[in-house]
Amino acid sequence: MAGNDVAQMAHLMRRAGFGTTRTELEAYVQKGYENVVDELVHPERGTPIAEDILQRYFGGEGAYVGLWIYRMLNSKCPLQEKMALFWHHVFATGLGKNQHILASSDQIDTFRRVGMGKMRDILLALSKDPAMLFWLDNNENRKGEPNENYGRELLELFSLGVGNYTEDDIKNCARAFTGWTFAQPIPLYPHGYYSPDFIFVEEEHDAGEKTFLGHTGNFNGDDIIDIIAAQPACAQFIARHLYNFFVADEPQVPSWNVTPPRDAAAVETLANAFTESDGDMSHILRVLFNADFFKAARFAKIKSPTELVTGILKLVGTHHRPEPGMGQYAGATSLMGQQLLNPPTVEGWHTGKEWIDGGLLTTRVNFAVKEVSDAAKPGIQDVIAQLKALGNDAAPEKFVDKCLELAGPMQVNDTTHGYLTQFAAANGPLNFEDEDASEETESRVVSMLQLIVASREYQLG
Amino acid sequence: MARPYGLLRAGFPYLKCLSMRRTTNFPIDIALGKEGRLYIMCRSDGTAMIRKYTVDDEDRGTMGGYGKGDGQFTWPVTIIADSAENLYVSDEFLHRIVAFNSEGEHIGTWGEHGTNAGKLNGPAGIAFDADENLYVVDSLSHRVQKFTKDGKFLLQWGSYGTGEGEFNMPWGVAVDELGDVYVVDWRNDRVQKFTAEGGFLFAFGSSGSGNGEFNRPAGIDVDAHGDIYVADTGNDRIQLFNAEGRYVQKFLGDATLSKVALDYMMTNASPNRMRDMADLEPQKYLRKPKSVAVSNDGLMFVPDNGSYRVQVYQNQAVPLTPQEFSPPRRSVTLHQE
Repeated sequence: MAGNDVAQMAHLMRRAGFGTTRTELEAYVQKGYENVVDELVHPERGTPIAEDILQRYFGGEGAYVGLWIYRMLNSKCPLQEKMALFWHHVFATGLGKNQHILASSDQIDTFRRVGMGKMRDILLALSKDPAMLFWLDNNENRKGEPNENYGRELLELFSLGVGNYTEDDIKNCARAFTGWTFAQPIPLYPHGYYSPDFIFVEEEHDAGEKTFLGHTGNFNGDDIIDIIAAQPACAQFIARHLYNFFVADEPQVPSWNVTPPRDAAAVETLANAFTESDGDMSHILRVLFNADFFKAARFAKIKSPTELVTGILKLVGTHHRPEPGMGQYAGATSLMGQQLLNPPTVEGWHTGKEWIDGGLLTTRVNFAVKEVSDAAKPGIQDVIAQLKALGNDAAPEKFVDKCLELAGPMQVNDTTHGYLTQFAAANGPLNFEDEDASEETESRVVSMLQLIVASREYQLG
Repeated sequence: MARPYGLLRAGFPYLKCLSMRRTTNFPIDIALGKEGRLYIMCRSDGTAMIRKYTVDDEDRGTMGGYGKGDGQFTWPVTIIADSAENLYVSDEFLHRIVAFNSEGEHIGTWGEHGTNAGKLNGPAGIAFDADENLYVVDSLSHRVQKFTKDGKFLLQWGSYGTGEGEFNMPWGVAVDELGDVYVVDWRNDRVQKFTAEGGFLFAFGSSGSGNGEFNRPAGIDVDAHGDIYVADTGNDRIQLFNAEGRYVQKFLGDATLSKVALDYMMTNASPNRMRDMADLEPQKYLRKPKSVAVSNDGLMFVPDNGSYRVQVYQNQAVPLTPQEFSPPRRSVTLHQE
């Protein structure tokens, strides 16, 4: 199996999914890169996760984020989960304000359901999503007393970006969404959450004439979304979001109207794919993952906390069947600055270098080191087995390179490689000759993996 | 007690609701004690406990707790009481049975993970027979095992499959007063009935949402008349079958506010207003019930898993003698006699 094929596939699966176990990686390589891309962009052809098993073992609304992480790890359609996470980044909706875990989790379920479809359908689902409607106050947007919060963010942060609309467009957009709200759900006490449902309240809707982005008519929200999805600015904006999320780190969204993309040609390619497919995400993603700019972007992104946590869990090979305690991983991403379902503002999380500061780096490293510290975990056992296959007396460089290969494959700079080799050499050749020697060697493998996941390079995905 | 010759099913009305959120979060099962005492098993991610309760809606504190230590559970599934009101809890993650006395003192733990005879692999349903031997549904090994109360292996049957006596991740188990054993074959969407030694008698149910069909049924109980109650979890209902496995009726839920919930709401103005704005129809329905238990006096208790409460119904079946109940008919009839 060619090393470059493995590395390229690992890159694809880190970005289009949440990493792989070594066994999964090798199976993907056998299928071929383009076939795997085709599989990824068509989740409807894949085998869905067994919902009955999830229902049986994971109870309680508080378990939702842990359950989502379980889905990330175990879905046979990982891009579907990755796109749900992508839209969660773009359409950031905070549980802190909503205080309704079912509404927030319903929103993620919606992203999972529509997130790889057409932009128009995605925006329509978003505009009818109770968590979003409450988050941006559209439940208070009424004829004659409009609340412009949702209308403004729909244009600024969700579809077009600053500079591609006017204040009048915002006002008329908001008017078009008057009366788009949700039915009052039964309150939490005494018998638990009930999902809220979208409703259209005709008497609160402003059916008057509106001019929006150069079009005039008695527009409602559906019409507004049709106009938005056909804008070249929408294609550009979503293309840049996709580039930022899947290819390489861009500056933060608020600066996009004054800072050009780092690879304008790549964004243009994606925008063209958007336009030619009428905003079909599956098509755009196929173009993206098959593009040379994507293939050349290995380790050009800083892993989000969610990617770091899921990547480590894939490496150690745990949680491929239901187990208690998935909630601890929701806690882990939160400690690293990404509390799923509760982004800090409507802008979403600031990504790239902003994922890391001194404290957060320590948290990330501590998590990773702790997870790989147990030699009994299946993924660590696989690494040990492959090292054993090298035979006794493997040179330190070979020990290091094999561990780097199995932990990624990872690329490290000469300095890091030098330190790792120095560590490998300090205790002589690997020795699996007898039980005592094997035990000591396993401990050395764990230490090597700990050093690798603690490295600067491991922060990059 | 001999089974009646027949039953006049006068009705099975909803009686009342017990408990609320915070007191019984995600109740997965219930054990019936004496003098109205109830033991409600609660489980969610990272929490587990037994809530001691009464049929009069009174909270009597908790027993056990989440963990892996003695007297703790991680993924409890079923709780049952023996004749002395000692409580036995299956834990499908720790692969063991944990016992308490009615005061909550831990009195024993047994079970070892494995797939050989006598080992446990995801124990789910448990039920006593008349001699207080314990049937354990060993879900991940797709079998039923029988033990003494303190864990001595007696016998086993079952393997993975869809045929008679085969299972796919079975869940609940019940034993009737004749010693026959009913097993909920969770992923095969059916119930199978066996002799005490595991001889196949009959099965009923198939996948679906129609009457008599199941969507991942979980818990089961059998009353003194031989009626069979099945928690049809995925269809959010309880289904009642007669002793031959013929569908009789279903319970979708009729909840009203429990006494403690009513007291709580009297001091919470905001949710009262929200309730006034909301469509309240859904609040009465069961949400993912995973078990059902029937008492000797005809009360049916349904831990309403998604709604943090227990719904209680009162059976109004009247036993009939041969003089009051004509012989079985082979054919249906339109003739009014």
